[in-house]
Amino acid sequence: MPINKKKSKTKAIAVGPSSVLERHKGEQISTQMEQTISFIQNILGVNEDLTIRRFHVFGQHPAVIIYFSNMVNQSTINVDIVKPLMYVPNHLIGCSIEIGQLIDVLQNDTLYHGESELESELTTLIESILRGETVVVVDGLDKAFLLGTRNIDKRAIDQPATEQVIRGPREGFIEPLGTNISLIRYRLQSPDLRVETMGIGRRTKSKVAICYMDGITNPKLVKEVNRRLSKIDIDGVLDSGYLEQFIEDNHYSPFPQVQYTERPDKVVANLLEGRVSILVDGSPLALVVPTVFSQFYQTVEDYTERYLLMSSIRLARLIALMFSLIFPSIYVSIISFNPELIPTEFAVAVAGGRAGVPFPAIIEVLIIEISMEVLREATIRLPQQVGGALSIVGVLVIGQAAVSAGFASPITIVIIALTTIGSFATPAYNAALALRLLRFPLIILAGTFGLYGVMIGLILIANHLLSLKSFGVPYLSPLVPTEFQGVKDLIIRGPLWAMNKRPSFLQPMDASKMAANELDNSTDQASNALDPKNDINQQEG
Amino acid sequence: MQDRQITVIQAAAILVSSIIGVGVLALPLFAVKAAESGAPLVTFLGMLLAFVGLFLITVLGMRFPDKSVIEYSQDIIGKGLASFGSVLIIVFFAVLTSLTAREFGEVVVTSVLRSTPVEVTVIVMLLLAAISTRNEITTIAYIHTFYFPLLLVPVLLIVALSLKNAEAINLLPVWGNESKGMMKGTLTIAALFQGTFVLSAVIPSMNKPQNAMKASIGGMLIAGGLYVIIVAAAVSVFGAEEIKQLLWPTLELAKATSLPANILERLDAAFLAVWVTAVFTTLLSSYFLTIHSISKLFRLKDHKLFSYFILPFVFTMAMLPQNIVEMYEIIVNVGQIGLCITIVYPGLLLLISILRKKRGNSVEKKKVDQNR
Repeated sequence: MPINKKKSKTKAIAVGPSSVLERHKGEQISTQMEQTISFIQNILGVNEDLTIRRFHVFGQHPAVIIYFSNMVNQSTINVDIVKPLMYVPNHLIGCSIEIGQLIDVLQNDTLYHGESELESELTTLIESILRGETVVVVDGLDKAFLLGTRNIDKRAIDQPATEQVIRGPREGFIEPLGTNISLIRYRLQSPDLRVETMGIGRRTKSKVAICYMDGITNPKLVKEVNRRLSKIDIDGVLDSGYLEQFIEDNHYSPFPQVQYTERPDKVVANLLEGRVSILVDGSPLALVVPTVFSQFYQTVEDYTERYLLMSSIRLARLIALMFSLIFPSIYVSIISFNPELIPTEFAVAVAGGRAGVPFPAIIEVLIIEISMEVLREATIRLPQQVGGALSIVGVLVIGQAAVSAGFASPITIVIIALTTIGSFATPAYNAALALRLLRFPLIILAGTFGLYGVMIGLILIANHLLSLKSFGVPYLSPLVPTEFQGVKDLIIRGPLWAMNKRPSFLQPMDASKMAANELDNSTDQASNALDPKNDINQQEG
Repeated sequence: MQDRQITVIQAAAILVSSIIGVGVLALPLFAVKAAESGAPLVTFLGMLLAFVGLFLITVLGMRFPDKSVIEYSQDIIGKGLASFGSVLIIVFFAVLTSLTAREFGEVVVTSVLRSTPVEVTVIVMLLLAAISTRNEITTIAYIHTFYFPLLLVPVLLIVALSLKNAEAINLLPVWGNESKGMMKGTLTIAALFQGTFVLSAVIPSMNKPQNAMKASIGGMLIAGGLYVIIVAAAVSVFGAEEIKQLLWPTLELAKATSLPANILERLDAAFLAVWVTAVFTTLLSSYFLTIHSISKLFRLKDHKLFSYFILPFVFTMAMLPQNIVEMYEIIVNVGQIGLCITIVYPGLLLLISILRKKRGNSVEKKKVDQNR
């Protein structure tokens, strides 16, 4: 069991937390049932929801069943566990059962429950109860039964809230890990899909699953992911975002180096490309590593709709991404340093709009940008019923009022509005956040050095991007270093039959995605089955 | 340093972006001063001369694929003499870096940021280069490759847009009216190509050093072609006599053109903004070559140590010229002295290495990095 192995490893480092279990480490269950009960009661007894129910196995051997009543399926315990334990099985009625045979009889002939194992270590019992399993201890036996009866209420599988598509699957991950793995597995019914688990978090012991495709993913990558994850030693892992911050390569970069998604189909597509996916129990967001920048403006939908249409939409998205980064700073530098660049008529209109505004362009843009950020943040925090109203009030009324109050020029409002909308067009929220943040230094550079300053800022950003790596993969691949196969899926989305190789920067074990002559295969067999000239009725008529 | 990842295309991109820089702005002036309407021809000759230097460096690099010029010069002519040559190289490229930064600083201050002191623009460019040299050489190669399109597009765009004002008659006679200045002009223009020397630091990191010649021919053709095109465009638009009156004819060319449909009324500021990247890559190359050579001279593994260390020296040197006129005199003189370092010195090295039958380890026998 990898989970247990992992646990013992983390505990060796963790001295402070779980000191109770640490103290009793390695203690075995004694044949005296009462000792075991009092041990468990000592540690967990103060909890109201701990149920300790005594009964007699086959009417003669005293036994006890222990579980947290809110974490288990009560009817399973009643029907599948307690009831068969109380009655002697039909085919054994009349036989006398010795205490030595009891374990075998219980395990093989009595319990109706699938997930059951024997355990003799006391601390493991405690951990299992905490996880929602049921422990059955029988007097006279030096082993206890662990029965998987965990039943946590969960929400239904829902549309992914942040990554909606028009064409494509509608399922999103939910919190429990088991459900999420099942969502992946039924899309990827392959014996090559590997799911490894480990427990991370000194106190939360969160179950973390690492998924990859054997025979596609580079084993070195899997090893590195495992290594980075096992070095994490924190109190609790409440979301996959906690892990992301420990396994990323550059902690100080504004750019995300790990992609997250709540779409199982996206995870499957990434696994098939040769990436590794990390899921955490309790988080509806899976991590995908390694990540390159181009992933942040690609969506699932790009691949489900025909390539010509989606290529143009992707182009639009790229323009929006650039807009959201540089538009305000270009505006500021043109207004304050190089008004001769824009056509005269327009320059006159801009000057007219700015006539009543007392501030220089940079201050004006910064004020409006910051109020836009405040509005955006407020819209997320407010209850949904009020949120819609606020955004209308914010955008329409405040914008209009700011202009007529001589606070900002109408063109500034237009620029900022375009920028804000542009930043919403970026599919990945974390990448959009990075660009949103970098906009501010760029505006300040534009205000001090004009276009020259904007270029300096952009060069710094580009150089930073070029030096970033995610698990060794250069962040801007396949653009730089150039990989001609990958360029097909960079700015445009190439036809599926043309992208016959997995991204080579992932160094997959199996490079090819499809039959070499896939295009020929699919067009060769096309024959005009319903050609009008073959229509007998028409020929007669 | 031993990871060999730089491809031929990246090496060619490094060459092109090291060559093309702030020199482009004044290039037509140099060429016209030398040969009037023969300016494109002079540029072409300058390119050929510069290619001789690049050819020597490439052949040397291919003979010693594991070493940079600092290291193999020690094998060839012994430690004492080689150290002297290396110091000359280092000083020359430090000066070249400072002059590039100063020249562009002057351009910016004169044409866009009129009230900014030139010190500020110079230090900003130098800082930018210094920060960027704190990367691995592979990353620096990525940087050059990434900006490569940004060098070609604006120049070709401006040349294409200026065609409507061009008069082919301005280019005649092709060999110019007086051939006296030809020789000197060729030298001056060849000096603008000295960034190519960075190849000597790049070859030890190329994944296939035996293909370095392809990179140098490709890089030289692109950069040289671009130079000839710009000179031809400038001369055909303005005519030789008018160019003599202009300080930065290429910038004037950008000023004289406008985009169709009047999207942008004037292109010079936009051109200059995009040109920041071209200047940056040139600076990055010469700055990197300087600190890389220093670290090789002291046998250090890491070149990052010197990134900030030489910054004050380079900045001080950049501030030495009193004004633009003096600066251009220095640039022309330093460039011609530099030709001894970038052409004569490698030539001598190659000759001696052939005579003494010195050769480095061939790289094919060793295990080449599996990644590429």
